[in-house]
Amino acid sequence: MEIISGEPTPTKREFNYFGKGSEFAIIFFKNILLNLVTLGIYYPWAKVEQLKYFYQVTELNGVRFNFTGTGKEVFKGYLKIYAFFIIFISFLLYSTTISGNETLTIIAFVTFYALLLLLIPFAIHGSIRYRSSRSSWSGIHFKYTGIRMEMFRLCLKGFLLTIITFGIYGSWLNVSIRKYILTHIKFGNITFDFKGKGDELFWIHLKFGLLFYITLGIYTFWYLENIFKFYVENIKMYQNEKEVKFKVNASSGGIFSLVIVNLLLIVFTLGLATPWTVIRTYKFILENSVIDGELDLNSIEQLGGDDYDDASGDDFLDFLDLDLL
Amino acid sequence: MTYSIHYFDGKSSKKHAGDLTLHANFWCIEYTDSQNKKIKILWNTKEIIPSEVYSEGIISFKYGTFPFQTIESNDENLINYIQESNSFTKVQNRFDSLLHKSRIKTIFLLCLFIVSFAVFTFTYIIPKVSEFFITNLSKEYVTHFGNSVFNSLSVGLDIDQDKTEKLQNFTDALKINCSFPIKIHVATNNQINAFAVSGGKIVIYSGLLEKLETEAQLAALISHEITHIEKRHALKNVSRNLSGMIFLSILIGDVSGITAVFFENAYLFKELSYSRELEKEADINGIEILKKNQLDLNGMPQLFTILKNETNFEITSYLSNHPALDERIEYTTSIAKTYKTTPKTNSALKGKWKAIQSTFKN
Repeated sequence: MEIISGEPTPTKREFNYFGKGSEFAIIFFKNILLNLVTLGIYYPWAKVEQLKYFYQVTELNGVRFNFTGTGKEVFKGYLKIYAFFIIFISFLLYSTTISGNETLTIIAFVTFYALLLLLIPFAIHGSIRYRSSRSSWSGIHFKYTGIRMEMFRLCLKGFLLTIITFGIYGSWLNVSIRKYILTHIKFGNITFDFKGKGDELFWIHLKFGLLFYITLGIYTFWYLENIFKFYVENIKMYQNEKEVKFKVNASSGGIFSLVIVNLLLIVFTLGLATPWTVIRTYKFILENSVIDGELDLNSIEQLGGDDYDDASGDDFLDFLDLDLL
Repeated sequence: MTYSIHYFDGKSSKKHAGDLTLHANFWCIEYTDSQNKKIKILWNTKEIIPSEVYSEGIISFKYGTFPFQTIESNDENLINYIQESNSFTKVQNRFDSLLHKSRIKTIFLLCLFIVSFAVFTFTYIIPKVSEFFITNLSKEYVTHFGNSVFNSLSVGLDIDQDKTEKLQNFTDALKINCSFPIKIHVATNNQINAFAVSGGKIVIYSGLLEKLETEAQLAALISHEITHIEKRHALKNVSRNLSGMIFLSILIGDVSGITAVFFENAYLFKELSYSRELEKEADINGIEILKKNQLDLNGMPQLFTILKNETNFEITSYLSNHPALDERIEYTTSIAKTYKTTPKTNSALKGKWKAIQSTFKN
């Protein structure tokens, strides 16, 4: 085996974050203005520019991340989503106001919400596949190899169990979706896994529910620390059969000052400081996450590329205001 | 002139430190690979894809087809040269680098533009457009819409047929110019309330009807509600609300929850003031109807005095969708005075009013 560089592989790698509030504020306000003037048509380009910015200011091992998606792809996705919603909402309006037929109204509403719910797994699949395909580092693209119908079955079972258990199964569903996604993401020869368990997540939520009122809300900061650690530290990477972990250095005190300062900034500037708080939050997350383990980042080979340009799944989740991360 | 860059071939993550030379038609990338071999790559300038987002101290370009070759550089000379050169307009982002020249000034100007555009849209475009839309909506659609609203509302109403019939007789005897056929319903309910539904339906609660003392007061109440119907107030309100909310959601789509709350509340205040405007319009137009029927114009302020005496609490005007009752009494009284008319006895209306009153005596 050839040793490419003479330096030993470091066992700890940190992210560098170069985002600046004032820089992002220009992108942020420019996009609000363009969205207003175009009555929202500009939104896909605005979304892509923000994603590109967040990627470009994040550095690992001296190389920036890259988002290679385009506004045009996201726009095409939105056209599909809007076509779907316009057809359905006109049907709903027709059945409720014009026809006056109650059975038709009930059928229309049930179909609408059932369809929305059933489309979510397909949207998750599409979104992850699109985002993976468009995310690169050192010229290597992520690749999602999940199968649409597997995600559908997983979610269908999960939705039903969540309804039957009055939401309790939600934590297990969350974990199983995460695990499915991560075990199907590849970055060259690096594979991923999620080791978190549903009961751990449920316990984190339960503790929050119990302690929130007793501590007058102060427990929120410990809860955020627990959630952050649960989601990040349970991600494992594998390269050449070696396990590489993620570590979180954030403390509840750090989270406390992040949240409180962000809150004060927003309140006292009537929201004008929003872009600065966004950058502060990303900076906090990235600078407190460390890759712990030997990882050879110089010889990752590109897998057969997945040039997936359909952003409609990603747009659908965005439309419903569902954020996977 | 050469610039230092990092090159990625799109096949491996290996970072190649190399040099970039810029020519008008092609860019030349040179580096030495791990076997000490000199590699030279040419990029046709027409096919170079810029990163399309500005962030300080870094520049990157893609080339070819997916998964792309990439170069990345933090060489300030290269960044400045590309932005200023006239040969590479396709990969430049002059507008963005202009925006980032003086950030505070840019942010200030952008916010100023956003605020002025939003204010202009809310105060001028949205009212004009929604007014135009509703005024031009076909009469049939308005009636149809109103009927379906009324059908769902009427489920909870206990309609008094006898009172309804007598009140309908009274209304039919009123001289009104309304393009919708007016259908009155009296609902048995102790609350002091009345409302109009688009397309011509009016509901008056028996609790309110019982408190009225003269035919002029009843005519005032009905003319107020008829104005809502004739001027399509409910639909105007809905249309303005809806278009306002859509515009607002574009405006606050990307901002955090707390900021959204600020904007939504400011918007709610504005909406309430619009509802009050419509109420005032109905009050004033109602007086016109009284005048046309030669009824006592003081019926309107008297109606509000009854409402005032019967309701226990009063919401401050700016928090309510109706103007404060004292305010309404004041402006209707002063309008009534300016007309200086002497009411004549309208015996037809008086007789019909007596018939309604008699239903409460049984």
